[in-house]
Amino acid sequence: MLGEKDSFAKSLCWNCHSEVGGEYFCDRCIKIQPAPSQFDYFQRFGLPRHLTIDLQDLERRFHELSRKFHPDFFQRGSDQEKAISLENSALLNTAYRTLRDPILRVGYLICLEEGAVKDIPAKAPPDLLEEILELQETLEEYKQVGETASKKRTDLRKVLLAEQERIGSKEMVFEKELFSLFEEWDRMQDQRLLEKDGQQAHRRSLLQRMKDLLSARTYLRTVLQDMNEGLREHHP
Amino acid sequence: MAYSNKVIEHYNNPRNMGSFPKDEKEVGTGVVGAPECGDVMKLQIKVEAGRIVDAKFKTFGCGSAIASSSLATEWMKGKTLDEAEKIKNTEIVQELSLPPVKIHCSVLAEDAIKAAITDYRKKTGSNGSV
Repeated sequence: MLGEKDSFAKSLCWNCHSEVGGEYFCDRCIKIQPAPSQFDYFQRFGLPRHLTIDLQDLERRFHELSRKFHPDFFQRGSDQEKAISLENSALLNTAYRTLRDPILRVGYLICLEEGAVKDIPAKAPPDLLEEILELQETLEEYKQVGETASKKRTDLRKVLLAEQERIGSKEMVFEKELFSLFEEWDRMQDQRLLEKDGQQAHRRSLLQRMKDLLSARTYLRTVLQDMNEGLREHHP
Repeated sequence: MAYSNKVIEHYNNPRNMGSFPKDEKEVGTGVVGAPECGDVMKLQIKVEAGRIVDAKFKTFGCGSAIASSSLATEWMKGKTLDEAEKIKNTEIVQELSLPPVKIHCSVLAEDAIKAAITDYRKKTGSNGSV
């Protein structure tokens, strides 16, 4: 990991005040240390900022670190040690939950990178918004048509059920496209270590594409959820 | 999360809900969305002699988004395009006492106002000061 060891070396042990050389424990007095606050979730697990993650490896790292920090092991420690172990465990759990899920993972990565690349505006896809608006209007019409059986009601329900399926598969297409960009991102991350020039534009456009896909997916999921609810509550 | 009384009031009695026929030449339409939560907002203005004579909205989203757009249509009516363009999301935040997590709803409303005005200007090829 680039530059990580440097950041460890800068912090002092809260107990013996010597420079902390180890990762989460002081080399000298072996007391537990808080995770450096500038650590992102990837660094917490000693992983590069890649989007493709071996889940078994991640789980193994998670268990290993959990065992180190677990508050149970610090029950007889000082209040400070208890507090640090608790905080490290909580942070580790959040980091694990985020990285384990590919969608949360890419969302988190975009957040991290936005800090570095300056905020990337979320482009709203106008066609998609129009489409969603239309769907919502149909759904509203269906909800208002009343519970009694009528041709209009049957027709609207049929339309909505078909749309439900179409939107569902559209979401899958977006998701697939998003995941296909993971490898491209990882490749770029690896190359970046060797060659620093000319990557900025590519990096930015890749992040932009991922962000757009992620937001398109959110729009679809929201309308899909509304449709599911509407169709369930207003059952034939 | 608890909504402020003003949000609840707009939510229960939304002003100017509905829509105008999109193709009419005195109508400007803005459709915007919040990528964080998937909310979608449509805001329309009817313009006569450079002044907004009527406004309508349709918002599919949370109470704050509905209240923000409802308030926006209320504020826009009677204003010139240039005046309406100056409505800031911070004013909406203040009026509705929106909490920090709901600020993006007011941003959405501001974006919708701008989008509707832009659409109208593009449609008529005017700068609104006619």
